[in-house]
Amino acid sequence: MTKYYDIDDIITEEETVSVIFQKAASGVGIDPSAEIDFIEAGSKVELPFWLAHELQLRQAVSVNVPPCFNQKTRLEIQADSASVDLRSRCPFFYEFGCKIAPIVADRTIGFLLFSAFKSRYKEVLTKAHTATFTAGSKFWTILTKEEINLYETAQSAMASFKKWRMGGARFQVASILRRKRKSTE
Amino acid sequence: MAGQSDSELSLFSAEELEFTAEDEIVEIVPNLKMPPLNLISGDFGPFTPQIVTKVPLWLAVALKKRGKCSICPPQWMSLEKLTQVLEAERDSQEMSEQLPFHYVEISRLLFEHARDNIPDVYMVRSLIEDIRDVRFHKVETDLEAFSGRTIAVKIKNLSAMEVNIVRPFIGRALQAFYKHDSPELIPDPERVSDNRPQVVNNAPRATSKITFQVTCHIES
Repeated sequence: MTKYYDIDDIITEEETVSVIFQKAASGVGIDPSAEIDFIEAGSKVELPFWLAHELQLRQAVSVNVPPCFNQKTRLEIQADSASVDLRSRCPFFYEFGCKIAPIVADRTIGFLLFSAFKSRYKEVLTKAHTATFTAGSKFWTILTKEEINLYETAQSAMASFKKWRMGGARFQVASILRRKRKSTE
Repeated sequence: MAGQSDSELSLFSAEELEFTAEDEIVEIVPNLKMPPLNLISGDFGPFTPQIVTKVPLWLAVALKKRGKCSICPPQWMSLEKLTQVLEAERDSQEMSEQLPFHYVEISRLLFEHARDNIPDVYMVRSLIEDIRDVRFHKVETDLEAFSGRTIAVKIKNLSAMEVNIVRPFIGRALQAFYKHDSPELIPDPERVSDNRPQVVNNAPRATSKITFQVTCHIES
């Protein structure tokens, strides 16, 4: 419940997963183009994560491992994790991974997330504090939302330091005072 | 104290650190006669023309702005000393301990308000910039050591401003590491720790087999 109003969390749960219905369900029009509003047991359907999770708790469906954690992605992360475009696969790769791992009962996703983050962290670290905004913009299109947060934290800390170092007005004039002076001029 | 900072994790803004640094003591040569000032932090003065006295930096800057004193730059802000520090910084991965904790803030305040009292101000300024860059690069190199199981990195003699710049980033990075290294997600870290390098290398490959089996099982 702590994350109930967290927009990022809501978007993460919107991610679709493919599920297989274990029980027949009638009166559900999940696919608007379907001719009958009836789902047979064993049919494969794409559902948002939050719905799949609830149905899985009631043993109505079984959840497949989503494509962003498939063999191909794993191999790519293993080969060169820093240049894998994780954002296009799943913008909340890590959050989603943490949520899906217990549901698909795949204990290896934890390892995958951890090793991916570990090596991508270094890349973010070296680029975040040094690269200027324009140079970095190409790099950050492949980052996931979590990594972008990290990257932006570093960038804003650096930017505020540079702003301070360049100097400028030490004290800001209150807007009321400024207005008063203008009117007398 | 943290009222000015926008981010929740960054405790101080650069301006707040500058404020803290203004309590450092510097030497000034006043050109006015004034009885001692009795402040909460101590007594300063008496002020006699051409007699060196020690005051906090904020007072020195305030007097300097009114043209009532000249500030003696601190010992470490000399060309020789800074060149020596830069050499030392370049030579070793350790951070040098020869600069004060607030060197970034103090030097900026002095450059802004007391340029005429610092000999070779351009050289001094660029030397301090170089030193800061070298040191910051070292900090980055040290931070690369974070890898989940390394939960702490020892960096000695980090200055106030340097630590403040990296603080929000480190905070978040450590949170993420903590989250992904939690025992629920990675089962039995003790079991794999004895021959870890090998296991880590093999892990994704071995794991994909298991996934494959799981998916087959579901689909069959």
